[in-house]
This record gives sequence, structure tokens and C-alpha cells, in this order.
Amino acid sequence: MMSVLRRVDFIFLLLLLAMACIGLFTLYAAVHQGDTSLWWKQCVFWAVGLSCFFILCFIPTRFIAMMSWPFYLLALFFLALVPFVGDIHMGARRWLDLGPVNMQPSEMMKWALVLMFAHWFASRDAGNWRSLLIALILAAIPAGLIVIQPDLGTALVILFTGSAIILAAGLPWGWLLATLGTSPFLVYVLWLNMHAYQQRRVLSFFDPHNDPLGAGYHVIQSTIAIGSGGLFGKGYMEGTQARLHFLPEQHTDFIFAVLAEEGGLLAVGVLLLCYTLLVARILFIARRARTRFASMLCVGVASIFVLYIGINIGMVSGALPVVGVPLPFVSYGGSALLTMVAALGLVMRVSIESTDKIPWQRPSNPIA
Amino acid sequence: MHNSTRIGFEHRIALFYMILIVVIGLLALRMVQLQWVQHEQYSLQADDNRLNTIPLLSVRGEISDRNGKPLAINQTSYQLVVIPERVKDKKKLLAELSPWFQWDEKKQLRLLRKVKKDRADRPVILENKLDWEHIAPIAARLHQFPGLDVQVGTHRYYPYGFLVSHLMGYLSKTQKKHLDMGMLASEKIGSTGLERVWESSLHGQLGNQLEEVNARGRRIQVLDSKAPVMGSHVRASIDIELQQTAAAALGERNGAVVMMDVHTGEVLVALSMPSFDNNAFIQGFSHKQWKRWMDDERHPLLNRTTQAVYPPASTFKMLTSFAGLRHAVPLSHSETTCAGYIQLKTRRLRCWNRYGHGHVDMAKALMQSCDVYFYELSKQIGNQKLHDEALMWGFGEKTGIAIPERKGSVPRVKMYQGELMIAGIGQGSVTASPLQVARFAAAIANGGKVLRPQLQAGVKPEIIRQVDVSQASLDKVRKAMRTVVSTRGGTAYRVLSDTAVSVAGKTGTAQVVAMSQKSRKAKKNQLNHHKDHAWFMGYAPYENPRIAFAVIVEHGEHGGSTAGPIAKQVINHWAEKYL
Repeated sequence: MMSVLRRVDFIFLLLLLAMACIGLFTLYAAVHQGDTSLWWKQCVFWAVGLSCFFILCFIPTRFIAMMSWPFYLLALFFLALVPFVGDIHMGARRWLDLGPVNMQPSEMMKWALVLMFAHWFASRDAGNWRSLLIALILAAIPAGLIVIQPDLGTALVILFTGSAIILAAGLPWGWLLATLGTSPFLVYVLWLNMHAYQQRRVLSFFDPHNDPLGAGYHVIQSTIAIGSGGLFGKGYMEGTQARLHFLPEQHTDFIFAVLAEEGGLLAVGVLLLCYTLLVARILFIARRARTRFASMLCVGVASIFVLYIGINIGMVSGALPVVGVPLPFVSYGGSALLTMVAALGLVMRVSIESTDKIPWQRPSNPIA
Repeated sequence: MHNSTRIGFEHRIALFYMILIVVIGLLALRMVQLQWVQHEQYSLQADDNRLNTIPLLSVRGEISDRNGKPLAINQTSYQLVVIPERVKDKKKLLAELSPWFQWDEKKQLRLLRKVKKDRADRPVILENKLDWEHIAPIAARLHQFPGLDVQVGTHRYYPYGFLVSHLMGYLSKTQKKHLDMGMLASEKIGSTGLERVWESSLHGQLGNQLEEVNARGRRIQVLDSKAPVMGSHVRASIDIELQQTAAAALGERNGAVVMMDVHTGEVLVALSMPSFDNNAFIQGFSHKQWKRWMDDERHPLLNRTTQAVYPPASTFKMLTSFAGLRHAVPLSHSETTCAGYIQLKTRRLRCWNRYGHGHVDMAKALMQSCDVYFYELSKQIGNQKLHDEALMWGFGEKTGIAIPERKGSVPRVKMYQGELMIAGIGQGSVTASPLQVARFAAAIANGGKVLRPQLQAGVKPEIIRQVDVSQASLDKVRKAMRTVVSTRGGTAYRVLSDTAVSVAGKTGTAQVVAMSQKSRKAKKNQLNHHKDHAWFMGYAPYENPRIAFAVIVEHGEHGGSTAGPIAKQVINHWAEKYL
């Protein structure tokens, strides 16, 4: 046990703890006027998450790789159940009632696919069209199930994450360019398959002022909150947009606006810096990793974070359409936080293994 | 890993680093744009969200009579108001409220238009003058209706309604120019009478309160407030009790009673009958009612004290006397013989007494109101001098009172002799309002000071003109006016000789249509609106004058017997109160 702890990446750990502080600090400002019990719950989630993180430091990546298929199939199974027994929230059937806990199988699938793809390309090259095709099918099945829920945001996150791993796994540059060339057509097909409410959201995004009391209201108010924060903010717990509840969903998806309003550009800079350092550190660990599986895993985790950060801040600041994506480590929400901290646990394990003098596993992988 | 693969992977990781930097960089740029470049604009929007300026209503000043009796007061009532910008669905709100107030579709539509027309951040009155029983069910449910509020308001009430409505005037809704000045549509402004004259003192000023509100429009805290300035209370010069006495004395007849202070010009009584109830203008009345007032042949909306002009008739004879004395024409210090008429070339001018007055000098002519004497006198005075004298004493010009008035007319400069003679007895081309006649009486009493009639108690007297008149002339005319009342044979002797104070006065009988002596015999058949107007004017007490008055009873025929008793009752009441 000591040998594991001695090899812990302290920079990475420090960044994680910094995220915990920023997250809890901001969340308190968002909920202090209403239900402060939410803040205490989030503290508990952090505690549980860090425990998972700690436990995962001891689980060999070899074992994780072994679990990829079962985990993927389990997630797929749950996902397939949703259309039949899922609960409906706000027009979409996303939740599964598992006795004491409600879960979103689409959330689980995001991480399952990262593991699955990392495992798949650990021994295969993305330049091989057959392995690539199977990988695409592995991604398309859950993505399709998620689209019909409908939850376009998560489906896109899954497809982008999968693409990121494919890219890391050696997709030939020519193929990449070909894909980018055909994507406008794909976007058009996607648009035709969107639900009316999703199309409305996208449209209202282009001019949120068209519909100030409907879909555009959230974005207008969050943009005002961010802009009025200025360089140094209005002061902790002093944001008028947040305090007077002009800002909707301020403890979940729109919490970034609270931070930006009260802390100004300064706080935003600190947050963006922490995110950058964290993701950069994950990529650094990916480069250093002993096995191809571990590298792919880290790349997958890093891309999920970048996607979340980009989509969330982009949407809250009115630069992207409103898609229900949390701000990593800051938004309130147990399952999202737990999975993200756990994912960092996996990355930490990769880091620990990479500093080991003696290989922990079979000395080489098939294509290395 | 093989080296080549290794290097390829390094390239891929480098690509991911780039993607990371680009994504974070774009986000940072967006933040700089919002928080630095556009910060001002968004700050304003955030303030716009949270700050709300609420007007604080002022209370209109009250008007009392000279002794503090209320003439125009504010009665407490409840108002249902709505702040338009805090209501998302105004139509729905009105529909939900309608069962409580029995609003039909039409009324709802009208209210909706009203709510949309007014400034969105200021309360709009939906229902006014509600008592607590009506408002209580809504007041208890206010939390269900954001934007709705119950305010304690006031509405104007005139306790003496009919008695002083011409004088008080009434309030009306604010017009666009007032809204542009920052008034609320719910405010009222004085549109006629004293309510209008004293508008600037009575109105007061709105205050306002800067509030911080949350997203649901609820007030969180008051950041700043400026208290409203209440309207000032104004004391009118009117004595409402004397006004009541005058009204009771006048009864059902049409006419006017004016009484003023001979030294200050303060108007104590200004009664005009028939009248209307100005409370109706506050509570609202139907188009039908308005039409009834407008079409009424008796013209109840007309203020007869200032806006109606009548021939002053014999009350003008003092003026002719002053002109005669001023220019010392022969007849002013001699006498003539009244045979009951005077014969001109083509027509015969009659004295009211067809048997004639025999030998008459000025004193007797005034006492008995001999027309023939004044026909002769004015013939000697001439057009220009009579004209000038009339202007001197304030005829033919506005008195300067604050409410609307007509100026009447004086004897013209170009007249035929017959016209001049008729003007000399206050008929023909001469007309005057009761206020002008009362002011003439006051000027006689106070030694020739033509005053501006005042409607506010205690203001500084304003002498418009000091008439250059000799003491001898004044004494002569005053003495004659005294004999009208005090001496057997005076035209008002029978009626006013037993008044509580010594009165000097003059009767008058204003012809409405010229008619021959013959037709006068057929009075029973005479149409009412062809009957003469009855005047009585004068001042009291004779020895030490304090009040002047003028009474006119339309179609009252004889000045002494019709207008005289009214004056007597008011004077008696005045004497009882003030002496």
C-alpha cells in the first residue's frame, strides 16, 4: 500500500483538490439562499467520490481492461431497458429506477464506451478499416438508443469521445480530413432527426432575444450575469443575478454564471487555468502510460472533460446552444461528480503504474 | 511500443494539447468579450433586472371655508392596483379577478387597454373607491397574483356639493401633457374652479422609492426613497354658512348672490343657482347626465356670479350720479319734474312709476329710483363721460377674479340720445356680472377703491384702481342709498328697514325684453322668461362699511321685494356671526 501511495502524482492530486475547493465554494454561493442541504449532500458526494478515487488507485489497469466488455454490455442492457421502463422527465425518457437510486444509463454508457474503445484499440490500429468499422458499430448502437430517448447532448458527447480515441489510436490523417469534409451533410441529417424542442433550442440560440420568456431566457440571464461580473466580480454571494434568482438552474447547469458574476474574469481565469492544467496533466499521463490501453483510457477521459467544459461554458455564455451538460466538479449532482472523480482515479492508477520500475503486467501488447 | 508507433502517438497527443488550448482559448476570449468589453452594457441590464422605481403617491391638499369648514376633502378608500410589468399574462389576471368585481367582457377589455397604455413600472388603478368588505377577499389572496396590490387611496369629496360646486370646480384625469411631466395616469388634476386655480399648491409631488426586486417581482429591499410632498391645504374666503343661508333664501329660483369684504375683496358668498353636484364628476356619471346638464335651459353649469351678465338696471344709477357730480352738470345740483315719462321725438321713455315722482332731485331720484331724473341727467352728461365713468368703476372689464368670468359692457361712445338715456338707467347697452355689481357697491363703501375679488382667505388685498371721486359725491350717493332702505318711500324700505345692521342699498329691475306699458298690464299672461330680473345691491353697516353684496333673481320682477329679502337674510346672518 505504501508503495502505491509513494508513487501518487501529487500535482494531479493537488489539481483535483483545487477543483473540489472551487466547486464547493461556488456551489455554496449558488444555494446559500435556498436549500443549503444540497451543499452538504455535495460534500458527501465528494467524500464518496474521493474514496472511489482512492480505491481505484489500487486496482490494476489490467483488471479494468478485463472489465471493459462486461461493463459495456451492462450499460447497453440498461440503456435498452430505458424505452420500456424508464421515467419521463421533461419530455424525455432518460432515467431508470433502480430501487434506492435513480440512474441515467446514458451517463454510465459514456464511461463504458471510453473503456470499451480503449480496450478495443489497445490491440488494434484505427488505420485498419475492419476494426474501425466494428468500433463505429459499438458506438453507434448506444448513441442511437440515446438519441431516441431523446438526449442529443449526451449522444454527441459519446460520439465525440469515441472519435477522440479513434484519433488517438492512429486514424490516418486522410480519413480524418474525409470525415471533416462530409460532416456538413451529417449535420443536415442530424437536424432532420431532431425533436421539435431541440430544433427550437438551436434556433433560439441563434437569437435568444427572439423569445425572451421561453427558451432564450436562461441564456439571456446567464449572459447578463457573466457580463455584469466584470473583471473582479460583484463579490462572493453578492451576485444580483444569482441572489435574486434571475439566473435559472444556478446550482446545476448554469453555475458557471454564478462564479463569473461574483468572481469576475479573475475567478473565471483561475477556473480555466485549473481545468487546463488538469486536462494537460491527464494528457501528460497518457503520454507516459506503459500500455496502449492506459493511454487510450486517459485520452478518453481528457476528451470527455474538454467536451464538458467547452459545451457547458459555451452554452452558459451564449456561444453554443443549450444542452444539458454539467460543469465538471462544480455543478451540483451526485452521479456526474462520482463518475468524474472515479475516472480521475483510473487516470491516477495509470500514472502510478507508469512510474513503476517493474512491469505490473504482461511486458508488451500485441502490436507494440 | 515500437518507436514509430510511439512517435505517431506523440503527434496525436500533441494534437490533443492543441485542441485543449484552442477550446480553452476560445472560452477565455468569450469571457473577455463579455466581462471586459461589454461589461458596461451587461451591468446596466443586471441593474435593470433588479432595480425598480415605485412612485409614492402624494395626497391632494384640502380646501376649507374661511372658518375651517371642509369644502373639498379626501375620503379614504381602497384601490386595487396592478403594476403592469410584473404581470406576465395580463388578460388572464383580469379574467381571474372579474368574478369579484363583476367585470364583463367589455370592462375587461377596457381595463386591459388601460393597463397596457400606462407606464409599465407604475401602478395602474383597476378598481377605485372600494370599501374594505369588497377588497378583503382579494387582499387575502394577493400572493396568488404577482403584480397586484391593494393601496389605501383617497377620492375627492365635496361635502357641500351643490352649494359651492361652481366655485370648487372638479378634478379630471391627467392628459398626455401631464404624463409627460411625470404624473401618473391614476392622478387627478383640477380642471375647473378653485381646484384648477390652486392646482399647484393642492397637487403636491410624487415621491419615489428605489427597490431591489427578485425575479418574481417581489421586493427584497428598499435602496432609496424620496418621500412625496403632500399638497397644501388652502382656506377659501367663502363662508359656507352664509352661502347656505343665501341658498335657502334663494330657494328654487334662479339667480346669484355675491357678498364680499369691502376692504380686502375677499368673497364671502358666491352662490349660483341652479347648480350641479360636482361629486358626480369624481364618482363618474353617465353621458345622459352630462347631456341633461348641457341641454337644461336653466344652464346649471353656468356660474352666474361671474359668467352671466345682466343689465345692472337701477343699480347703475349711482354711477350716473357720480358722473353727473364729477362733471357738475346742472341737474346734479338741481331738480326736475317726473311726469311718469319723458317724450322724445319719436318715442316715449317711461319711468317705472307711471304716475310720476313729481319734483325730484338726485337724492330723491336714487331713493325712489326715478327713471326720468336719470334720463335727463345722462342726457346732460353725454356719451363719452358716462362711458369713462363706467370704466372707472370697473364695469366692462374683468374683475381679475381667479375663475372664469365675463366682462360685460359699458355705455358705448357712439350712441343716439335715446340709447344714452336708457344706458343712464343701466339698461340697453350696459351689462354687468353680479360680481361686478357687488364690487361697485364695495367701491362706493370703501371710498372708490376698485378691488380685485379674492377667493383665498387672508391674502393681501389688491386695489386695481382708486377712483378719483370727491368725498362730497360719495357722501351724497351713500346717504341716498341709505334712504332707499331707511326712509319710508325708499324702494327697499318695506323689506329691509328692520335688518339687524344698517344697510345702504339700491334695488334694480332689469328688463329682459322691452315692452310697452300696455302689455305690462297683461302680466298674468306673460311668459316667465320674459319677466324682469330683480336686483338688490349695497353694503353694510352703513356707518362703518364692511361688506358689499349683490343679489340677482332671474325673472324675479321687483328688486326690493324679491332680491331684497335674500340680501336681508344673508346680512342678518353675517351680522350675527361677525359683529
